[in-house]
Amino acid sequence: MISVNGVRKAFGKGGEVQAVRDVSFEANDGEITGLLGPNGAGKTTMLRIIATLVLPDAGRAEVGGIDVVRERYAVRARIGVLSDARGLYPRLTARENVRYFGKLHGLAGRALETRIDGLFVTLGLTDLAERRTAGFSQGEKMKVAIARALVHDPDTILLDEPTNGLDIMSVRTLRDELRRLRGDGKCLLFSSHVMQEIAALCDRIVVLAHGRVVASGTAEEIVARAGTRGLEDAFVALIGSDEGLAA
Amino acid sequence: MAAVSTSAVARTLAILRKEIVDNLRDRRTGVVTLLSAMLAGPIFLILIFNLIASQAERARDLKLPVVGAEYAPAVIAFLERQQVTVSKAPDDYDAQIRRGDLDVVVVIDDHFATDVAQGKPGTVRLVFDRSRDRARASIDQAETLLRGYNRLWGEQRLMLRGVTSSVANPLRIENADLATPQQSGALVLFLVAYYGLFASVMGGMAVALDTTAGERERQSLEPLLMTPARPGELVVGKWLAVCAFDTLVVGLTLAGFYLTLKFAPLPPVGVPFLFGMREFGRFALVLLPMVLLLPAILLYVGSRARAYKEAQANVSVLLFVVSLLPMVQLFLQRREPEWIMLVPVSAQYSLLNTSLRGEAPALGQLALSWLMPALLIVVALVAVSRRLGRESILSGK
Repeated sequence: MISVNGVRKAFGKGGEVQAVRDVSFEANDGEITGLLGPNGAGKTTMLRIIATLVLPDAGRAEVGGIDVVRERYAVRARIGVLSDARGLYPRLTARENVRYFGKLHGLAGRALETRIDGLFVTLGLTDLAERRTAGFSQGEKMKVAIARALVHDPDTILLDEPTNGLDIMSVRTLRDELRRLRGDGKCLLFSSHVMQEIAALCDRIVVLAHGRVVASGTAEEIVARAGTRGLEDAFVALIGSDEGLAA
Repeated sequence: MAAVSTSAVARTLAILRKEIVDNLRDRRTGVVTLLSAMLAGPIFLILIFNLIASQAERARDLKLPVVGAEYAPAVIAFLERQQVTVSKAPDDYDAQIRRGDLDVVVVIDDHFATDVAQGKPGTVRLVFDRSRDRARASIDQAETLLRGYNRLWGEQRLMLRGVTSSVANPLRIENADLATPQQSGALVLFLVAYYGLFASVMGGMAVALDTTAGERERQSLEPLLMTPARPGELVVGKWLAVCAFDTLVVGLTLAGFYLTLKFAPLPPVGVPFLFGMREFGRFALVLLPMVLLLPAILLYVGSRARAYKEAQANVSVLLFVVSLLPMVQLFLQRREPEWIMLVPVSAQYSLLNTSLRGEAPALGQLALSWLMPALLIVVALVAVSRRLGRESILSGK
């Protein structure tokens, strides 16, 4: 459960770049919530605030009722993040990459190895487990990054443009994995600038434009409120341009 | 609170361990670091020892081409009595000297015999190129021999006139060299101390930059910062890993010197230069603050850069300072002031020289030499961990 209330964030000298201006929304457990908006709408900043990497100038954000500013380390123990930056250590094996993060999350020994084995089976990484990640394909690297983000079994999962640079097969694997996590009752927040991406996967959608929430709800609710025929038209009407629609 | 601190230690150790395993697998960088730090010193030692030896040999077995030997048979006879091999100089001897094929040539003036007969000094010209280091020993030797003959001849003339030679030599110069045997060979001392310091920069460089700028460049820093590991734990873990590599490289560099001087077939040059276990230990003691300080500074430099290349460019400034300070001390030729112990690098260089002269560094000085490094380590590590905690570290990927 994520709840964001009146969050603002500006960057630069004197805060002239307003990345997020007054954003409020909620994301429920057992649901995939999509954060949809064109490039520069404030999606990444919003995710980083929830991930405790960036401090909000105003407002509150909570993960499972825990404040992201005052108890940032307690929040970190409960979230798994797959961000755009998903670099691995090329000289370490897939298992060692995931094990490192497991240890930083306080796991160790048999319990940690069992957890890694389980994740690798689900993600189809078992054959690659003991190989160094230097020669991995984009899709294989993405799977290791997912395993790394999930190693501590977080109940809240944040994904920032996770399908960037992936081929179709990898995107399918990712979607299957996200649906599986939803089935486990996790709270998933998924950001993308591609409408089709969000429509294919998300139960609820929060549309961001220029740092503000311009609409939220299920796809049907958003279409009904915008008074358009489909989600695509609704999106264009809401953000006032057609950037972000996949060609 | 106890539980918190154990997990902090566990996380720090996990970071330390990961960095060591990760960087040990970087074979290419490892080999380059070891070659540049460990082999360069011994190779220089062997070259220098051979240079000293060959100069001594040249002076001992002096070969002297002479032009106009027939004008001064007595001079030639004297030279031959001094074990000099006298030969006839080739016609193009000045060109050969310029090319470096000949060290020095003696030219006896064709008026030599008539000048001497008239009571005027006979002219003997030494032709050489002093810019050639290799020739210097031969030149000096030839000059010394001719001056020796000059004095001998003069004294004989005085004796013929019933005058004691001390009339013409009112000054008696005696040399009393207080240098212990180890104090000779200053160039060798400089090199060993210099390379000891150099190794403490080189040893940690690749790892420190890889773990900071490299981490940022390959986009693994952001995921790392989203774990419960505190910035301070990341910095201390990484710092300890860099220190471990630095210690390894410095240790191997010193071992290289030790083994070279002990076992390598170095020519005997009359410099009973000591680098035994005792010097090894003293070196380790003096270099310890450097092995802890330089990794901290390298981490700071690395954390300011977005990419490995950028960090490398910035590190060259650090390398410049570390290599310049000992040079300044070498050329300054003045007694070092007390406060030099407060200047990192300079203090260590000075103490390394003390150790190499066969003396133990004074405990007070040693303690003083630790002061600034200890302070700077804390400042650097705090600065890096504050950078890691800042939002701007995420931008500019």
